[in-house]
Amino acid sequence: MTAADPIVSAATPPSTLPTEPTRWTLWSDRLNPILVREVLQSVKGRVFALTVFVALLVSVVIAVVTVNAYEPRGDAGRMAFNAGIATLMPLLIFVVPMQAYQSMRLELRGGIVEQLLLSRLVPRRILWGKLQAALVQFVLYVAVLAPLLATSYLLRGVDLPTILVSLLFALCACVAATAFAVSSAAQGVLPAMQPLANLATAAGLGLASFAFVGFAGSGAYTYSVGWLVRSNECTLTIVGIALATAAAVVLSLLVAQSFLLHAFENKSTGFRVFLFALPVVAFGWVLAFMPRSSHDEFLAVFGMSLLVVGIVFGQFMVTEQRELSPRLRAHVPKSRLASLVAAPFLPGRDRGMACLVLYLAWLGGLVAVLWPGTSSRWIGELLRSAGLCVPYAIVYLGLGRWLRGFLPSSVAGNHVARVLLPLAVVVFMILPALVDLMLRGDVRGWHVGHVMNPFWTIDVHNRAEAWSSVLPWAIGVSIGGLLLQVPAMVRGQAEVAAAAAVRRERARTA
Amino acid sequence: MSAPLLEVRELWRSYPRVQAVRDLSFTLERGQITGFVGPNGAGKTTTMRIAATLDVPDRGDVFVEGTSVLVEPRAARARIGYMSDQFHPYPNLDVLEFLDFFARAQGLRGRQRLTTVRSVASFCGLLEFADRPATGLSKGMGQRLHLAKTMLHDPSLLILDEPASGLDPRARIEFRALLKELAAAGKGILISSHILPELGEMCDAVVVLERGRRVVSGTIAEIQKAVQHEQAVTMRVLGDADAAERFLLTWPGVGSLRRDGARFVFPFAGDETALGELLARAIAAGVRVVEFTRTEADLEDIFLQTTKGNLQ
Repeated sequence: MTAADPIVSAATPPSTLPTEPTRWTLWSDRLNPILVREVLQSVKGRVFALTVFVALLVSVVIAVVTVNAYEPRGDAGRMAFNAGIATLMPLLIFVVPMQAYQSMRLELRGGIVEQLLLSRLVPRRILWGKLQAALVQFVLYVAVLAPLLATSYLLRGVDLPTILVSLLFALCACVAATAFAVSSAAQGVLPAMQPLANLATAAGLGLASFAFVGFAGSGAYTYSVGWLVRSNECTLTIVGIALATAAAVVLSLLVAQSFLLHAFENKSTGFRVFLFALPVVAFGWVLAFMPRSSHDEFLAVFGMSLLVVGIVFGQFMVTEQRELSPRLRAHVPKSRLASLVAAPFLPGRDRGMACLVLYLAWLGGLVAVLWPGTSSRWIGELLRSAGLCVPYAIVYLGLGRWLRGFLPSSVAGNHVARVLLPLAVVVFMILPALVDLMLRGDVRGWHVGHVMNPFWTIDVHNRAEAWSSVLPWAIGVSIGGLLLQVPAMVRGQAEVAAAAAVRRERARTA
Repeated sequence: MSAPLLEVRELWRSYPRVQAVRDLSFTLERGQITGFVGPNGAGKTTTMRIAATLDVPDRGDVFVEGTSVLVEPRAARARIGYMSDQFHPYPNLDVLEFLDFFARAQGLRGRQRLTTVRSVASFCGLLEFADRPATGLSKGMGQRLHLAKTMLHDPSLLILDEPASGLDPRARIEFRALLKELAAAGKGILISSHILPELGEMCDAVVVLERGRRVVSGTIAEIQKAVQHEQAVTMRVLGDADAAERFLLTWPGVGSLRRDGARFVFPFAGDETALGELLARAIAAGVRVVEFTRTEADLEDIFLQTTKGNLQ
């Protein structure tokens, strides 16, 4: 029996049951099934009908008010646009994302998502389907309010570029908010995360909507977009916002995917590749759009920010389970070279440490290569701070990797380690201060007892006059910390090499 | 020799403070319906979820047609239809749209999708409900829809977790008939249920679990043979029941006799020849026997004999 071979001869179907594929059926085969279903459900559901009706009603009211308030050379057109955008944005950054959130929560609560995962839909396609459905809703809501936006243009309230840029930003906000909502819903896989996910999503999207209604209603949004459109920074801002949206969406989807994937699937490589891609995108944007005179400032600020991002990612990388899952062992690259290159990107805390070290080198190397040579005083301080962050990153993340080894090898052990590591930083910051308080009666100033407090130590030692004395220590600690991690990194690499050798041997004997 | 349809090999799975599955091994062949029996918390659902690639074991593996569910979960999924014990269809979709969506999710396209949805809906008796909202179906029809959705990609192995719970007797009978038809078509079915007589009627084999450990497994006949050291015999007589009782009490091999009016139930240690001899001698002794049956242990007896009722 096959899918094409009916199990039993079909009984007489009701008249509504299609027997021949229609043009729509054939065309819709190319679409993501989640998109088809979400749109079908939305169209048949009450929420969509209600919100469209309310949006139409509001746009009629705005139109009537605008017509009544119309005066030649008055600002009725601008008022109509402000009101239209203030109506549109809550739909796009609250209603659409919340519908995606509810849809995901329903699938998780009812166990439907498990049924989906057993089909050919991989988590990535499920999540993309939800984003595509959000895009369709974006188009529908914009279409509903389009007459109002067109009216505001015809009344000479706003020019066409302002409308288009406003809609582009609205699209970015809608997609990013939907990705965030879907990601929050997916985290509800863990029962402990559900209340947090509900709260974060409702509060985050609700506050963003309220803030935006106020911003747009006051006219500040239209004014800002209008100014931006006429300024020289229009392209770089639009590209910057588009890139930031893309990064936020990819990160949200990676997080959501990691909660939906089979426990033995690879959940780490996506994050690690994303981390390595971030500096390329950020520095590429700087080089492409920023004037050469500002390169040093942007490289320094982005370099520092990306270092902090790397440390946050590093905390997750060094607290993973140590070994490859059976599935991953069976799928490592066969060739020696490919397995060597791929190893730091494969899951496992030992390989995570190696990945972090490579990232620090990658980031430092890019900044060094692209550095224009000039720097002001504050940039110098920022770079020295970044330099001092490196030994702390190596020491604390090494400590996190070591701590993780004492915890159970389950996923729960990863979560505990991710709480323990920041806790350890806090303890190392508070303990010397308490000792000072008990012995001296106050915490007067930095001394060597506070050396494990990264924030205070960096703040005290990032000045040019202190730099020469602290630099040898920073280098020494970094090298010492790295040397301590070498056995683990080699072990991580060796595990991949051994799995690759097994695959080669199997291929040879097959 | 081809690999068994399902092979569970030395499976271990623990949760905090609970060892859900301990060293569990068994196999299931094509066309076979295997009942998965055990008290609550015995590890049935855990094992089924591991086999369906929705959970991972601490040790051991499960193979579907020789494919490891741990190494190749995606390949294994194409061969598995898993029907969980809970079913929540999407709101705002009717029966046909629901099946159509899952058919799309299974990669079916165009005419093939329409044909499959229709034939599966027809097989499960859903055609006349095609326009009904999927959320508005009765429990029995909902289970049919759940089964139909599970069968869309024509899996060779069906894993059904408590599929008959909550169904009325008629719906159960119809559901059982569906499963028998599927087994006849060559599907392997692993089914868990608390309704043991029903499982006994449809299963070729059973695996009995207790506290995560397999206590007995095999075909029903094998297990009956293994657990039934003494066969239970029922005898009903006309006339002098006291004389019949005296006769039975003196006969070697007759165990503790239970009497209910003119009806006697007793365990008998002996083969069929000895049982025939008993009947012949009773008649010769003037006992007017009108009913004489040997009762085989059913699944409930097997379950009660093999498990101790330990919960975890």
